[in-house]
Amino acid sequence: MPRRSALAAGMAATLTLPVLAGDLRAPEDVLQTLIDDNESAYLTQSEQNIMMMPDNAALWTAEEGKELFFEARGPNNESLETCDLGKGPGVVDGAYVELPRFFEDTGRVMDLESRLVYCMTSIQGFAPDDPEVKQRHGSDSDMMKLQTFIASRSSGLPWNPPMDHPLEQAMRDAGEVLFYRRAGTSDFSCSTCHTNTGNRIRASVLPSINQPHEWTKAISWPAFRVGHQQVRSSNHRIRGCYWQMRQPQSIPGSEAAIALMSFWTDAARGAPAILPDKKR
Amino acid sequence: MTNRHLALTATAALLFMLATATTAAPPAPEAAYTAMSPEELADYLIFEAGGFDLDAQTQDGGTARERMTQDRTQKVCSAIARSGKDLDRATAAKISALADDSIEYPDGGVELGDWKRGEEIARSGYGYRIGHRVDDHDSRTPGGNCYACHQLDPNEIAYGTVGPSLTGYGRLRGASDAMLKHTYQILYNPNLFFPCTTMPRFGHHGTLTQAQIADVMAYLLDPESPVNQEPPKTADAEQAAAD
Ligand code: HEC
Ligand code: HEC
Repeated sequence: MPRRSALAAGMAATLTLPVLAGDLRAPEDVLQTLIDDNESAYLTQSEQNIMMMPDNAALWTAEEGKELFFEARGPNNESLETCDLGKGPGVVDGAYVELPRFFEDTGRVMDLESRLVYCMTSIQGFAPDDPEVKQRHGSDSDMMKLQTFIASRSSGLPWNPPMDHPLEQAMRDAGEVLFYRRAGTSDFSCSTCHTNTGNRIRASVLPSINQPHEWTKAISWPAFRVGHQQVRSSNHRIRGCYWQMRQPQSIPGSEAAIALMSFWTDAARGAPAILPDKKR
Repeated sequence: MTNRHLALTATAALLFMLATATTAAPPAPEAAYTAMSPEELADYLIFEAGGFDLDAQTQDGGTARERMTQDRTQKVCSAIARSGKDLDRATAAKISALADDSIEYPDGGVELGDWKRGEEIARSGYGYRIGHRVDDHDSRTPGGNCYACHQLDPNEIAYGTVGPSLTGYGRLRGASDAMLKHTYQILYNPNLFFPCTTMPRFGHHGTLTQAQIADVMAYLLDPESPVNQEPPKTADAEQAAAD
């Protein structure tokens, strides 16, 4: 068992560890099981990150997000307890691994970020331009705190985005097209780098979308990025990879971004989520 | 355009107008989306539904919209990759022919440039990135990013493995005129020999100039280049690491 630092010990007290009840599992345990059961250069590439998982600063972010979630806020002075993340108003546990999904009330397929925007504007009364809603990046943003809390309440659960509604299937299929779509001055697509296992770009080992045990870690966001010293979201990763591809900037909350996430989550179906994760 | 296409475009345009005209929740896209093929929907999400910042300027003097627009090779190769099938002979021949047509040769014939400049180009991943941080080509020359995918200098440990190792490229193959031409063609448009390869078309896109291609070729083929030195003996390497 890895040595727990003072930080982790302190957190264990404030984090009310009993919340990891039911089927939820600590992210470091999920990762260890995946490493034990599979041969993967991607999963094992940073021994130090694996050792430091219990000290993940994203655990603090999740804790801050939990407070925000239950706090009465915004012009309407409401908490997010009536926010329906797909499993009924106020149900947080297990909601994230079933996103993106179709929502009757908006008639759209939504990911966690766009659903949070919807709840914060419709329930709490924030305007889309209020900083609470508008600021999407960085550990200090409300958006990252809330996302990290909600996602952490799916750790260890298998990815299971619903495909019953025709729009869910249509978005997933369009996302698949986007993933393989080559364009731009380098002819890149996501598949250029993410369809073979064990390949490296420079010194980074790339996760393969064809290996659910690798892909689950790849899509386990929010994650604390050691190189950025910030908790980052799925949308931030998508933006970064489009930038590397020399293609236009992806817009968070857009249907294109949601379609891509529908496909990438479907590709990890059945593998357990590692939330919050820690990445390079 | 087929009737179905027209109807789709009309529905899509109407939806888009409605979505932008009102601040309330946009209308349900179900009917329009499910009527489209996955390819049509993907294009709609990119070009009509605000998926990307398409109006941004690019380094090559165009817009992000043009960057996102596929040419024939990109379109065909994307579809093949998504299908998971092997490339059939006829399609491979077509892609290869398109590549052959695209290649422009230097006026004075193919020659080697300076391997030291070529090394810089091979190492640099700078250039052509747009969006939240835009590469400024006036302050730094774009590179070829060969190390992202290839091993070259046997002493460099941070190399990618998406492409084959090119260590000893010139030492193993020589630097005949035929070899020079062959290498030039690969750098200009590798689809000539490897249809639907993941390697970028550096000459075709103009992301490397002819002079830069000559320099990179020297890095690959010049006997003096580090790429063509014998790899260090393991004991020496260990000694070097210990020093
Ligand atoms: C030129 C190569 C390249 C392309 C093309 C590319 N990526 Fe990546 N991607 C990377 C690298 C490098 C990393 C970081 C991996 C690491 O640090 O081990 C990464 C990381 C990721 C991750 C998170 C995994 C992690 O450990 O950080 C996801 C998810 C991802 N990419 C998805 C995509 C998607 C979706 C696209 C297309 C929009 C895409 N990538 C295009 C190179 C690429
Ligand atoms: C995105 C990855 C990628 C990048 C970047 C890249 N290549 Fe390649 N390259 C490949 C792949 C993959 C192949 C193998 C061709 C195939 O089978 O598809 C290849 C093949 C080659 C070959 C032919 C090797 C042979 O055995 O005949 C040469 C030469 C080459 N690359 C040189 C370069 C140089 C020089 C650069 C930088 C200017 C470069 N490549 C950048 C992926 C890449």
